[in-house]
Amino acid sequence: MENALPFFVAIPLGAAFFIPLVSLTLKWVPDLLANAVMAVLAAMAFLTIGQAGFYHMGGWGTHLGIDLRLDGLTTLMLVTINTIGLAMAIFSVQYMTKYTSKLRYYSLFLCLIAGLNGIVLTGDLFNLYIFMEIVAISSYALVAFGCEHDELEAAFKYAVLGTVASAFILIGIALLYAMLGTLNMAEMAVKLAAGGMNMPLTVALGLFLCGFGLKAALVPFHAWLPDAHPAAPAPVSAMLSGVVIKTAGIYVLSRLIFNVFTVQLVPDLFSILRLFGVVSMIVGGILALGQWDMKRLLAYSSISQIGYIVVGLGLGTPLGLTGALFHMLNHSVFKSLLFLNAGAVEYATGSRDLRHLGGLSRNLPFTANMSLLGSMAISGIPPFNGFWSKLIIVLACIESGHPWLALAAVAMSLVTLVAVLKMLKRAFYEEHKPLTVHATEVPVLMRAAMLLLATLCVVLALLVLTGLRTPFLIAPAVDALSTWAGTAPGQGMGI
Amino acid sequence: MVYALCLVLIAIGLYGVVVKKNVVKIVISLAIIEYGINVLLVLIGYRSGGCAPILQQGMTAATLVANSVDPLPQALVLTAIMINLGMLILMVAICIRLYERYGTFDITEMRRLKG
Amino acid sequence: MRGNDRVATHNCHSRSNRESRKVAAFDGLSNMELLLNSMVLPVTFPLAAGILCLLLPKAFDRARSVLATVASAITVLIVCRLLLEWKQLPGNAPMILSGSAWGSLRLDHLSSFILLVTTVFGFLISLYSMGYMRGKERLREYYAWLLGTIGIACGVILANNLLLLLIFWGLLGFALYVMIGIAGPEAAEAAKKSLIIVGGSDCLLMLGVTIVWVLADTLTLSSIRMDLADGIRYVAFFCFAIAALAKAGAMPFHSWVPDCGAQAPASVAAFLPAALDKLLGIYLLVRLTTGMFVMNTAMNTLLMLVGAGTIICAVMMALVQHDLKRLLSYHAVSQVGYMVLGIGTGTALGIAGGLFHMLNNTIYKSALFLCAGSVEKKTGTTDLDNLGGLAKVMPLTFVSCLVAALAISGIPPLNGFYSKWMIYQAMVDSGRNGNCLWLIFLATAMFGSALTLASFVKVLHAVFLCKRSAELRHRDIREVGFSMWLPGIGLACLCVIFGVFAYQLPLATMIFPAVGGVVQLSGAWYASVATVLLLAAYALGVLVYLLSTVRKARSCNTYIGGEIMEEVFHHKGTDGKVENVEVTGVDFYKTVEDLSPLREIFGAARAKLFDIYDLGGKVSAYFWEILRAAHGGLLPMYLTWVLAGLLVLLWMLFSGGRVAI
Repeated sequence: MENALPFFVAIPLGAAFFIPLVSLTLKWVPDLLANAVMAVLAAMAFLTIGQAGFYHMGGWGTHLGIDLRLDGLTTLMLVTINTIGLAMAIFSVQYMTKYTSKLRYYSLFLCLIAGLNGIVLTGDLFNLYIFMEIVAISSYALVAFGCEHDELEAAFKYAVLGTVASAFILIGIALLYAMLGTLNMAEMAVKLAAGGMNMPLTVALGLFLCGFGLKAALVPFHAWLPDAHPAAPAPVSAMLSGVVIKTAGIYVLSRLIFNVFTVQLVPDLFSILRLFGVVSMIVGGILALGQWDMKRLLAYSSISQIGYIVVGLGLGTPLGLTGALFHMLNHSVFKSLLFLNAGAVEYATGSRDLRHLGGLSRNLPFTANMSLLGSMAISGIPPFNGFWSKLIIVLACIESGHPWLALAAVAMSLVTLVAVLKMLKRAFYEEHKPLTVHATEVPVLMRAAMLLLATLCVVLALLVLTGLRTPFLIAPAVDALSTWAGTAPGQGMGI
Repeated sequence: MVYALCLVLIAIGLYGVVVKKNVVKIVISLAIIEYGINVLLVLIGYRSGGCAPILQQGMTAATLVANSVDPLPQALVLTAIMINLGMLILMVAICIRLYERYGTFDITEMRRLKG
Repeated sequence: MRGNDRVATHNCHSRSNRESRKVAAFDGLSNMELLLNSMVLPVTFPLAAGILCLLLPKAFDRARSVLATVASAITVLIVCRLLLEWKQLPGNAPMILSGSAWGSLRLDHLSSFILLVTTVFGFLISLYSMGYMRGKERLREYYAWLLGTIGIACGVILANNLLLLLIFWGLLGFALYVMIGIAGPEAAEAAKKSLIIVGGSDCLLMLGVTIVWVLADTLTLSSIRMDLADGIRYVAFFCFAIAALAKAGAMPFHSWVPDCGAQAPASVAAFLPAALDKLLGIYLLVRLTTGMFVMNTAMNTLLMLVGAGTIICAVMMALVQHDLKRLLSYHAVSQVGYMVLGIGTGTALGIAGGLFHMLNNTIYKSALFLCAGSVEKKTGTTDLDNLGGLAKVMPLTFVSCLVAALAISGIPPLNGFYSKWMIYQAMVDSGRNGNCLWLIFLATAMFGSALTLASFVKVLHAVFLCKRSAELRHRDIREVGFSMWLPGIGLACLCVIFGVFAYQLPLATMIFPAVGGVVQLSGAWYASVATVLLLAAYALGVLVYLLSTVRKARSCNTYIGGEIMEEVFHHKGTDGKVENVEVTGVDFYKTVEDLSPLREIFGAARAKLFDIYDLGGKVSAYFWEILRAAHGGLLPMYLTWVLAGLLVLLWMLFSGGRVAI
């Protein structure tokens, strides 16, 4: 399996360049190729389950060359990214017909996937930066894809804030390299554990927290998210909210915090995370309440859910990590589903303003039921997946002696419920409005994508049957985070 | 001392990003930040009196390692410059489109998305 | 279910065949056997039937309703069989099925009786729905969720594992949301409100469960016994109590009940807020106060306070309603007060009274809602202004409504009187044991009972007795069909039977064992004897009336419903002369509404100042406004936040352990 690792980046990247070449004449190529690529990647991602290993690019050693590494956390992220990506590709086939240029869209989309896969695979901080920039540039472009007022404005703000964050991260990397003389994260961990912290390293950590916190949309670095996520086309919104903020933000943060800088070095680290997590949870949740734009409401609720994840990480206990990572996986699924629902509503009616919608449960029964399911999952109604991850996080809060965090978590769970119920009522269950009277159900592939994600909402709940404290797929990821520090990579499998 | 100059460069860029209202100036400020960081990266690898990390005739790898500056940051800077280039092009393109839509370069007038 | 759990033992007392009863626990019950186990079957069978209902194509709507009714009847039989099996256990020990660490089920006296009542009601409601829901939209979902609700409720009752309880509990809230929504777009707001309040209490339940889980280190409900020793245990207790009270609809978490009752289909209103949610909410409250937590005086008094407040406030609101279903919903809230009051006394008698009242309330409140549904089905409205004179054309509905109304008002010898009597006695007892507020609570409860009667006089008058309203006068209204009147009549009979034979039937067999303790009635009420005496008294009264002739008459104003006739009911014509005297009954108690302090209170209630849902909405809207104003779309401001955040981060990192949350 190790030898297949580069293909996670190479296949989508190659396809991204190949699509514009061949599809100027053949209009159906982008759809087919992108879906085929995503199907292959998703299958490959599932094959990595239970595997672990290293791949040294070009056969160089760890110190000189570039590492790709596969462990439990990477597997979890790969599965998330590529499964959601597959659903988005299926959804895009019919949804993106309302935009003009499918081939550019798929190119950018596959670049995004390549960058995301790269981020989770690389074991090297600078490569991580590069992949992150690939993700960033393609997502700025995808946000601006509609080229109208809102899209451009959102993309510009997103780009400026994102670039500042990238700059902070690069400064941090420079400082780390200057102090430790290596860019490989595993080696850094060893050297840090041996040498301890000093002033530049602490500054670097602060810059990382700020930079990746911005990528993860933690309050107060969140301001770009509610603009950018609604502006993008629906599948891209789903990808951004469901996967990108987690990969470029949460994943990297947790790697840095648990595998590189450890709490032994920085005693305050966890309480900082908890603080930022709980503030995000509350601010995002309350802001979601009053929104009228379906996607903006969902975007704010993403901030709130990210807060849950960060609180879980900030507890630092294995159970907290389990809850956080499980919630990350679950949130990817149900938030993508909800964004697709919003996209379907927009596709059918031309609007996503809740004030102009209503009664769609009769015109779009399938979409309505999918939204209901996704909403129940996000607000933690049993037996869907969101309930379980929230339960684990709340339990972890209590176990580690933070009852107030637990109280905030359940309170915000209620607020989330209020927000999504408002959305459901306004969009689907109220009386018809002029805009919605003649709406018809969305095409079959869009429904298929929603069904895939909705099924996942139910299926993921079954993961807890493999043990509440050690769910399948999540437990190896927790192990990877809690045991990786200080273990240098073993013998490589270089070509 | 030279490091401090890099930091000044970065600080000037940050100041520009926060304070300037013209979108083009914001983009330029971002570029300044990137330059500052690039210079910082190169400086990190610098060794006083070192030669360029290029293997010349009659030089063994050991002597190169002993005498040259650190090559890795230079490689990093090259990559970073390319990335910045892509970013800059994208942002300038967005600026042009923004001007077409809003008829202004003033970022404080682009406030359709709020709340 | 990790690997080692997979071969977990199943304590299978419940297996009916001989061999297994010898062996208390044996290995390797396969999944299929587990699903068909008699303890699991009450949960799985209705769910399976519900899925079948969902899958039947639209053309088979008639078959679907029959299927649902038959399935719910079979569920009752399944439960009966389970109870018989349980009765054969030596010493009536609780029956336990511990499938694994997760799925432990338990059947004891309390759960057995609630289980039986739940399924019987499920059956009655499906029977009623055959007529009531005929020809309506979305029947597929309706029957699927109706059966699903029965199964889920059985799950709640049987669960001996807090996590299992939490799951079923949450599912029930979700089922409520969907079933209210079936009524159509008008019910959307009511559905949302219900799920927000009930689902919000579910969130708190989750917190409570986790706290108990961590503190007691077990999830097994029957083995948890906690002292209210410190703050966190109080938090856990309040979480559980709020969940129970919100489900049951006690104040201040009641406000979803009236909206739900008014907007949902009548069968749903009769089943969920009026019957099932009461059963389960009170069930949890009893488990909570008698099993999981050791109550102290302060908590008991608090519960009694909630109960008394609920009784009086809700009945006052009921008094002034104009919509039949909404009025009944307020009574549904008010009756919860009695149950909570009884349980709050903490004595065996009080808890038994609370449970009995819960049972009785389920019976008569469902009957009332079903009558309301029948009226709505035939007239198309539940507005008291537009009804009247239905007693002649719908006699069966009228009789069942009358009996239920008398029962809810606590008229002897009906069941409502008996349970209220027990609760009053328990309060007197608690006064003897040092509760200083008992007299106030007692007075409130009795006054509430009187007001209940008053408001049902209004209902009976406005719906059945007064002249038909102009709209209905020329319509041909007939009695509802068999499947619709039968549940109502059956429930009315139960009201009588449970009142007259209160001790013999429900109390001795179901409720006193459930409470466990020895129940002593200080002021005994021998229902059967009293009934005979009462009947004799009524007969005597009739005799006296017939024999005597009224010699002396006193002339005074015409009063009706407590109001002077001329002032309220005469609609003056243009020439100032009285014409067309119509007493619809809706204006009864108008003077009460206009009394000085009450007027303001009613005004505030109408403005929803006491509604936790609207209050919460206002508070969150306030915070939202503040946060929204900060997100003004200014990029420089956003950048400033980023830089400020960075500085805060650096400060926190360098402050070295001084900041901690």
